[in-house]
Amino acid sequence: MAPAQGNCRIGLAISTRTRTLSLATISFAHTCYGGVLFSTLPQTLAVSASPTDGQVLKAGEDNITVTWGLNQSFSDGIDSAYTEVKLILCYGPISQADRGWRKTVDNLSKDKTCQFTIAHRTYMRDTQNFTWMIERDVPTAVYFVRAYAYNSSGNEVAYGQTTDAKKSRNLFKVQAISGRHSSLDIASVCFSAFALLSVVGFMALEKRGRNSAEN
Amino acid sequence: MEISQGGDDSYQKKFALPVDSEHKSTEFRLFSVAAPHMRAFHLSWISFFACFVSTFAAPPLLPIIRDNLDLTATDIGNAGIAAVSGAVFARIAMGTACDLFGPRLASASLTLLTAPAVYCTSIANSPVSFLLVRFFTGFSLATFVSTQFWMSSMFSARVVGTANGVAGGWGNLGGGATQLIMPLVFDLIHHIGATKFTAWRIAFFIPALFQSLSAYGIFFLGQDLPDGNYSKLHKSGDKHKDNFSQVFYHAVTNYRGWILALTYGYCFGVELTIDNIIAQYFYDRFNVNLHTAGIIAASFGLANLFSRPGGGMLSDLMAKKLGMRGRLWTLWIVQTLGGVFCILLGKVGSLGVSIAVMLIFSVFVQAACGLTFGVVPFVSRRSLGIISGTTGGGGNVGAVLTQVIFFRGSRYSTETGLTLMGVMIICCTLLITLIHFPQWGGMFCGPSSKTTTEEDYYMSEWNSAEKEQGFHKASLKFSENSRSERGKRIGSAPTPNNRTPDTHV
Repeated sequence: MAPAQGNCRIGLAISTRTRTLSLATISFAHTCYGGVLFSTLPQTLAVSASPTDGQVLKAGEDNITVTWGLNQSFSDGIDSAYTEVKLILCYGPISQADRGWRKTVDNLSKDKTCQFTIAHRTYMRDTQNFTWMIERDVPTAVYFVRAYAYNSSGNEVAYGQTTDAKKSRNLFKVQAISGRHSSLDIASVCFSAFALLSVVGFMALEKRGRNSAEN
Repeated sequence: MEISQGGDDSYQKKFALPVDSEHKSTEFRLFSVAAPHMRAFHLSWISFFACFVSTFAAPPLLPIIRDNLDLTATDIGNAGIAAVSGAVFARIAMGTACDLFGPRLASASLTLLTAPAVYCTSIANSPVSFLLVRFFTGFSLATFVSTQFWMSSMFSARVVGTANGVAGGWGNLGGGATQLIMPLVFDLIHHIGATKFTAWRIAFFIPALFQSLSAYGIFFLGQDLPDGNYSKLHKSGDKHKDNFSQVFYHAVTNYRGWILALTYGYCFGVELTIDNIIAQYFYDRFNVNLHTAGIIAASFGLANLFSRPGGGMLSDLMAKKLGMRGRLWTLWIVQTLGGVFCILLGKVGSLGVSIAVMLIFSVFVQAACGLTFGVVPFVSRRSLGIISGTTGGGGNVGAVLTQVIFFRGSRYSTETGLTLMGVMIICCTLLITLIHFPQWGGMFCGPSSKTTTEEDYYMSEWNSAEKEQGFHKASLKFSENSRSERGKRIGSAPTPNNRTPDTHV
């Protein structure tokens, strides 16, 4: 629907590593005209993550250690354009089923597969790693880790991921926080009970009013 | 509030507003809070607004809730249908409760009985529990019936369309306001420090508390009829406690009630459907962000501020000149035009034009709701509650039907669904041509005969035994006052006493 244009104005701040970037990145990506197609990207980055296949991690408690670097089987000059790398947490297919808001679309400006940023760094050829505490707003789902390499204009130029092309292997699960607290539970029950008792009170008052109207 | 000591003391009463022989107000003064008429108006629209806010509090927060509870699109769709389906039967039951117990007790009780569902939304932890809380919260939309019933009891034929339209419209406003309120409350709580998955839960206490407080307001400050509450009037003999099976019989055998129930499904039902799907429609088709989609969705509901009241006022205006036939014609024209703009909405492909068409569509569809309840008070006097309830319930049936047929799964794209819904609106609205009142006529035919009167029509709801006991007296007064529906500037019967401008009752 959006008209295709040349440069993609993603507008990423280069030096910041704040977590708010994750949401800002997505909203900037949505305002982007045109956009890189995922199918055109070469898989030149090697990415690995600490969770094993099928492991369940807890949001807000557990960590993921991600390691990334250039895949050594590629020739030396291939990464000359890479200036930044971003590591992101992406939904596995089973967590995308019947959920249009997590849909995979080839046009990366509209793609919603990956919604959480793990790390955002300047690109270096040597292997780097980072340990990320899974944030408390990460939902319960099946995930893998992907890395995008960006050029100086802010466009994606390469990627790497911890799973295969079909996204069927090496997926791990995150168990989200429930968001419930015992104080909330108690408050809900108390207020509900009070409301129900009030109805009983109303009926009693009406009956008394009816009986006392005999004057 | 003065309570009658006996049937003939009505002349001693003083009301702040001018009243007719039933002590219903003949004027609608929006900025007054005088008891009992205008106070009843403000209490009823505020509590109905609160119920709407609660029922549609979840949609604007769905992006957070769906991640917290791991909902699929099917779960969300089912919960949306559940939210509007509960009220189908609740509205009919509410109509009966109003007939038997009075709108004040009925609406205060229902509002408080559904508040626990809103409180418990905070502790939902799965798709099933989410569906259940939305289902039970949706029951609160039955307070629509008590609102309309209460307005029809407090305001005379001349202004009942306006009163019903404003009360209903400003209540429906809650469906739009909530799309702005809930994200704001959520942001505030999140900003204070709660994580997202806790902040939305805390946010639900706001509509729950608002709903509870409005119920207390109705119980302690409201009054069923201009002359007092049902319980006291029953005791003093002013109002007899009616026989449920008779009330029920006269409601279900009146075909006009069923026609209006169906056609209401295609104005109000359509409005509820749009409340549930329009934000996603704009988000997906035009790629606006969620915040913008929410604002667009809110503006659809916010048009209720003037469009539904406008429909009610238009009904009263047309009745002045053309009587009931004018009310019916206007209803048919406005609702059909709503269908036309719905067809257009599905067809336009650019964002700006689409928003404009949506706003025009919202005005027509909501005005049709107001126009419908300009006709409903005249269908039956004895069974007003059940007729109001059936019509209101029909609205929700329309919402369930349209969502199930056109907006579930991937059979139709949303835009095709909108166009087809518009066609269905036009077809179902044709049924209004079949409504005929023997004393006033219908769209195409005049009155049955020159001698058929309002008394004949309304007295046919009472048998001779009941008439002997004098139970029909209220209907008799109503018949006299409804002569204005003949449309030739015949006013309602004046009150015997002077209309003093006292400010208290």
